[in-house]
Amino acid sequence: MRRRVVLVQLAAPCALVVAVALLGTLVSRSSEGYFVDSLVKVSIVVALYVFIGNSGVLSFGHVSFVALGAWTAGVLSVPTAEKPAIMPNLAHFLRSTTVGNVPSLLLAALAGGVVALVVGLALMRLSGLAAGIATFGVLEITHNMLRYYEKIGPGLNTFSSVPETTGLLQASVGALVAIGVAFAYQRSRFGRMLRATREDAPAASAVGISVYRQRLGAFVVSGVLAGLAGGLYVHLLPVNTESLYLDLTFVTLAMLVVGGASSLWGAVVGALAVSALDSFLAQAENGVKVLGATLDLPAGTRLVVVGVLMALVLILRPSGLTGGREFPLPRRRRA
Amino acid sequence: MLTVSKLNQYYGGSHTLRDVSFDIPKGACTALLGRNGVGKTTLLKCLMGLVPARSGALMFENTDITRLTPYARARLGLAYVPQGREIFPRLTVEENLRMGLATKPCSAAIPAQIFDMFPVLKDMLARRGGDLSGGQQQQLAIARALVAEPDVLLLDEPSLGLAPRIVDVVFDALAAIRETGLAVLLVEQRAQRTVALADRCHVLSNGELRVTLDRSDAADTEKLVAAYFS
Amino acid sequence: MLGVLNVDWQTLADALALGAVYALMAVGIGLVFGVLRLVNFAYGQLVMAGAYALAFASQWNWPGWAGILLCFAIVLTLSLVMDRLVFRPLRTQSPAVMLVATFAVAFLLQSIALLWFGPLGKIASSLAPLNRPVTISGVDIRKIAIVAVIVAALCLLALQLLLTRTTVGLQMRAAAMDFRTARMLGVRANRVIGGAVLISGALAAVVAIMLTVQTPLVTPDFALRDTIVVLAGVVLGGLNRPVPATLGGFAIGFASGLLGGALPTTQSQYLPSILFAAVILVLLVRPNGLFTRDRESLERV
Repeated sequence: MRRRVVLVQLAAPCALVVAVALLGTLVSRSSEGYFVDSLVKVSIVVALYVFIGNSGVLSFGHVSFVALGAWTAGVLSVPTAEKPAIMPNLAHFLRSTTVGNVPSLLLAALAGGVVALVVGLALMRLSGLAAGIATFGVLEITHNMLRYYEKIGPGLNTFSSVPETTGLLQASVGALVAIGVAFAYQRSRFGRMLRATREDAPAASAVGISVYRQRLGAFVVSGVLAGLAGGLYVHLLPVNTESLYLDLTFVTLAMLVVGGASSLWGAVVGALAVSALDSFLAQAENGVKVLGATLDLPAGTRLVVVGVLMALVLILRPSGLTGGREFPLPRRRRA
Repeated sequence: MLTVSKLNQYYGGSHTLRDVSFDIPKGACTALLGRNGVGKTTLLKCLMGLVPARSGALMFENTDITRLTPYARARLGLAYVPQGREIFPRLTVEENLRMGLATKPCSAAIPAQIFDMFPVLKDMLARRGGDLSGGQQQQLAIARALVAEPDVLLLDEPSLGLAPRIVDVVFDALAAIRETGLAVLLVEQRAQRTVALADRCHVLSNGELRVTLDRSDAADTEKLVAAYFS
Repeated sequence: MLGVLNVDWQTLADALALGAVYALMAVGIGLVFGVLRLVNFAYGQLVMAGAYALAFASQWNWPGWAGILLCFAIVLTLSLVMDRLVFRPLRTQSPAVMLVATFAVAFLLQSIALLWFGPLGKIASSLAPLNRPVTISGVDIRKIAIVAVIVAALCLLALQLLLTRTTVGLQMRAAAMDFRTARMLGVRANRVIGGAVLISGALAAVVAIMLTVQTPLVTPDFALRDTIVVLAGVVLGGLNRPVPATLGGFAIGFASGLLGGALPTTQSQYLPSILFAAVILVLLVRPNGLFTRDRESLERV
């Protein structure tokens, strides 16, 4: 493919992220939170895309890696003095170790990748319905373990006292890193081989592509990115097992579907578009002025609207807003 | 009776049926012959509506059925016995037959004449379809189509994979069916036996209906070969 | 009883009852899967809707039978609406899209309930007396446990009769086996699917009634956990065939009830992990399910 087209395909989502970040600097402190949140969501959705978009296999379990990343980064970066307060039963090693911001993020990414490898080794043989249910099982197991196994984290409690280092800068850097990795992957040999299996698995297998191995590769990469996103998340908000469970799974899947599951551009557009809508609705739930009139929606409307949007897209335009294509260059007319 | 006018069909990019026109009169057995892959099965599927035709018209009695769904055509009186029979292996023989009554009101029963024509089925009513031999399954498939008391019967290679003795049974049954006034369209590969049974044979070649033979041509091997390979 | 686990008659009865309820849910999910090849993640929301109907009836002081009627009316209507608006447009899509879509619908319905009814929940208390125990030869067993098992058995029997003795049932079975051939024979697709959806909905209503007796507090995530566990059970048993699916639902319900009641809390809180680890294991080893025979070797060529 021509160099220029490639560059544009990478530049477009990056530019969008940077634009959103810059916009975020212009708004008030209270609104800034929405922008940061949406940028972290970009990381999660891009992680989802790396696996689902390239392999065509559904995974309901990626939020487990986000949760594990959050747990890793959170447990390791809460100041040692404060750990006993929220995590009284923490294992000794974890209690005495505290790391800085960037190391916590790197470890979060590592944790996500390692667990994704272990899970993937078992699950990548499956596809279709079986994969959906098995990955859902992974989500359930992670949620269950994190909730009750207090040696590795706060269990039922909410993560507090985690240094709030994820602002506009950290979130956008994280998003750009995710986009960069995802782009590198999809342009690589492995990405292409995996996409071949998405189109026609038996044919791909017949030319010597190991479906299992390629899926595993993408699963691990997406696990790393999801773990990183989890690290970013825990440094942004107080999270707990419930906020990194079904709701987040649904919202991020909705973002991917609405944007267009088969392209990186779709993932980024979906994440930002749905976040924008969600943020607007969140403000409307608290009463907001629109074109002179006051809009005051009842609490809970956001989820309904996002849900309806996702259902509509699936029924009417399953390829999403972007049609599953990367950012298109305007065609130059030949003279 | 069923009239086919200028039927055109494409499979992928290739033009598989070109301006095919013929009719299937009542009380007669019309046969469609031709080499493998020439489009005979596609033609039958078009007639039944399982595959849409690119252009052309299908008239049943005085009704234009070209755009009707398979379900609607079944209701009008068309019945189709596909290649490979496609009976329900996990349902019993009786249940398979009752499935043939789908177009009839709930209270309809299996007509007794079916068992006169295929006595072997009567002994096997409680057996699962999948446990029957190939020949028995073929008889079941035809019986199932007849249970609906159709006006037109379309058969796709009923003798495929059957022992000669069973082929006799099937062809005898087809002759008997013809006597009851049905319009029968038979797609077959066994040219000689088919030409002997049918009232008229059309030979499909390169998507076109080139040659028409009748019963007297059955013994003329040269003519048959010429028809197939023209 | 069992020496290792602390099981008494009451726990056993409760486990049987849970198994019975889950078996009904499994049938409901399996029926729709059979004719549509679609796993309805939103099945639990049908149960939730029925439970809310009962809660409102209880709030308005309606007599028990009226509440039950309302429950059926709401659930059946919602089932048909789901079929028309969601299942039908999706019929031509790939299994992955169908899966995500029903997941979206499940979430959407839960969000609507949250919006409409608020998170605090309502109480459905009309049939509460059934939750009280009856003493049989010195053992306390809750009436609902006995009722649940009997009702489930009756429903399954009725369904079996419907499927094997009636024309509609026969057509449903045939359509589940080979939809194309069934249509070719003149079976009306919409009618068969509509029938399956209605029966599935009726079962959801029955489940709602029985679950509200045990858990009178109805919240927007009512029966969500149960649906997830039943889905696991159905996959474990064998999604493709009705009997294995039902057995799978019963087995997982019974196991959950037994382990949940018999194990000390420090261990039983990990029950979901154990269950799902088992599901994953089965999916890897026997993707067709535990209770199906390996049909490959039995099929005639």
